[in-house]
Amino acid sequence: MTDKCASCHSCGFPMEKDDDFALGDRSQPYCCFCVDSHGALLPYETVLDANAKHYVQSQGVSAGAARSMAAALLATMPAWRDRPAA
Amino acid sequence: MARISRKEQKAATEQRLVDTAMEFFAAHGFAGSNTADVAKAANVSHGTVFLHFPTREALVLRVLDVFGDRLSVAFKTAMQEDLSLEGVLRAHLSVLRECEDFYARLVQEGALLPPQARSYLFILHASVSNRLHLAALVDSAAGNMRPIKQHLLFNTWIALVHYYIAHADIFAPGDSVIATKGDELVEHFLNLCRK
Repeated sequence: MTDKCASCHSCGFPMEKDDDFALGDRSQPYCCFCVDSHGALLPYETVLDANAKHYVQSQGVSAGAARSMAAALLATMPAWRDRPAA
Repeated sequence: MARISRKEQKAATEQRLVDTAMEFFAAHGFAGSNTADVAKAANVSHGTVFLHFPTREALVLRVLDVFGDRLSVAFKTAMQEDLSLEGVLRAHLSVLRECEDFYARLVQEGALLPPQARSYLFILHASVSNRLHLAALVDSAAGNMRPIKQHLLFNTWIALVHYYIAHADIFAPGDSVIATKGDELVEHFLNLCRK
């Protein structure tokens, strides 16, 4: 196996190709899905919803479980780990 | 001889702890391993473990984070050669084969792990699910594939794989169940999906 690749500091998405990075720029810490058209990080709730929706669509888990798992994951990410608990 | 900085030394020790813990968890399971065992196997003091990881859970999560990243990269690399449905299935099995013992522990004990730990596995699963879905769309457009919802396509596959991995001791005693049964599982799954 290969070593750790760059991963999004917001959602953990592994980033390999230029297109995977925000604005197609490899120096960006976030992936293309976690930023707006100007490269600014999207709000927490938006990222959480997108991740939860991804779990539901890809694996059919319940919306509540998907949201809990996505929240648990985001809590470990540099972009959100210092965010006060809701 | 080049001198190693304190920062490099710290990173090297942490990496050794993670690698050792991964091997230990693979051999003894998550529930059956403690930080003292990992410290001894890594040839460091027990206190050194806590300098890097304040709790046992932090060590487990770090191991799973590294494992998830390695698996995701390995899957993407394996995928670059063949984007067909069969190619995705075989790429998935090939990366699981590389870490079969550790993955088996995740399958067997995953429900007992912290929520973040399950999330790491779900990231990988989401990636595999997406690839299967994209490959299935191509086959569907060509009229070769039954219409199957994305999550059911993936869940059917992963249920098959996990069942065999969880019961490797009876399907392939003393051997890799993926190496032994992988071809049969791929062939069976393709037969289920294809018209």
